[in-house]
Amino acid sequence: MKPPRISDERLIELTGVAKWFGPNKVLDDVDFHVRRGEVVVLIGPSGSGKTTLLRCINHLETVQAGQVRVRDELIGYRMRGSKLVADRERNIAVQRREVGMVFQRFNLFPHLTVLENITIAPTLLRGVPKARAEEDARALLARVGLPDKALSYPVHLSGGQQQRVAIARALAMQPAAMLFDEPTSALDPEMVGEVLGVMRDLAASGMTMVIVTHEMGFARQVADRVVVMAQGRVIEEGAPEQVFSAPRDPKTRALLAAVLH
Amino acid sequence: MAFDWTYFWAQLFTPSTAFLDGLFLTVFMAVAAQILGSVLGLVIALGKMARSRVLRGLAGVYIWIVRGTPLLVQIVFIYTGLAAANILRFNDITLSGITFPGSVQAGILALALNEAAYMAEIFRSGIGSVDSGQFEAAKALGMPPATMFRHIVMPQALRIILLPIGNQFNIMLKNTTLVSVIGVSEMLLVTETINSATFRTFELYSVLALYFLALTSLWHLFMAWAEHRLARSKTGLVPGQDAGATPKEVAA
Repeated sequence: MKPPRISDERLIELTGVAKWFGPNKVLDDVDFHVRRGEVVVLIGPSGSGKTTLLRCINHLETVQAGQVRVRDELIGYRMRGSKLVADRERNIAVQRREVGMVFQRFNLFPHLTVLENITIAPTLLRGVPKARAEEDARALLARVGLPDKALSYPVHLSGGQQQRVAIARALAMQPAAMLFDEPTSALDPEMVGEVLGVMRDLAASGMTMVIVTHEMGFARQVADRVVVMAQGRVIEEGAPEQVFSAPRDPKTRALLAAVLH
Repeated sequence: MAFDWTYFWAQLFTPSTAFLDGLFLTVFMAVAAQILGSVLGLVIALGKMARSRVLRGLAGVYIWIVRGTPLLVQIVFIYTGLAAANILRFNDITLSGITFPGSVQAGILALALNEAAYMAEIFRSGIGSVDSGQFEAAKALGMPPATMFRHIVMPQALRIILLPIGNQFNIMLKNTTLVSVIGVSEMLLVTETINSATFRTFELYSVLALYFLALTSLWHLFMAWAEHRLARSKTGLVPGQDAGATPKEVAA
């Protein structure tokens, strides 16, 4: 049973995706999809390929086989006749605007204020007038609980605050989906809650989200679907209750035993 | 022969018009060559970092040759050598009443071409020390390469390379003396000319050295001010420091 806010449209679809780093096959014929409005949590032991999979969705990683589609549009490649050829950087840049990304290490722009961090992409890339972009940015800052940090520089914010600004920065482009790459792994424990809180609100607002995380409690609460990866393959997926309470694959059981105890 | 203090003070505080013209030419050439060399250096740095093996190779060969041969040889080669081989002759150009002698054009070009090789390596190190996460964040937002470069990478790289660029201009000011060999009347050549008539070599070269010291000192003061300003800026970025380092967490 899927919640009613999830549509049947497959917003993100990966088919037969394979990728090697040198001799290591990090993605092995992976099929993966996310429907509009769905929150998918990717879990798996380190080195299982979950971060790489996430980074393929906005073409921060190239793929060596298979296809990545967002809104049914091929990402990073074009069809020339029946052959796939690498797309031009400029076209890929345009495609990336539809998908926001939040990084483990925040990656805020240190030479810009919080407000500028949030407005730079919409003003430069979407042609939003500066005043309008700033208005939107302040609304986003209020939404992530940092209404009074607009004029601060990133270096003066705590890790949790930086990550919340990073979420606001990605949202400012009004993406169709958001990718989260271990967004709380670099945070001190007392700051994890504030970031997860913002993500929880975002999920509740109907945002399509793909989250790589080790926060199993959070995954269980927020995920519509949990996808488990090991050795570059999807080994199990399902509703969180099923995956966490009655895992089918022995590797999932081993993973859960390792992180839950 | 004793040091002629009267002559020394006169030259120092009431220099001839020719010497002042030389001073102007020294500064003008240094500034022009530094700007031209920086622009060219950035292009070469981008070539050195390009995906294309041909571009990387070309940039590498350029840097190898320019840094591996004396600047003095390059200056003579460009002005006298190219003309002798009938490849390129620098003619005087007159623009709204001001004449730019061919030797000045050649001098600026030679200094700039030489500077570009050094600036290329400085730019490359600066860009290389911007954290890879900055590139990824810019890409993920959908910035095309040029936008990312101009708004995210260069502002951070420039802070990192502020000090080396300052050093380069200090060297540039002094290197302009080499252009005297092709007959550009900058400060050194003017001094030599006066010297050939008066033979007050000790006094005249003391004055010349002091003028250069004044120029480099002024530049040094400016750089110290610029560095201080950047160090105090609210971004918390300090010139010369790795901008990509994880910012230290400050409790809110």
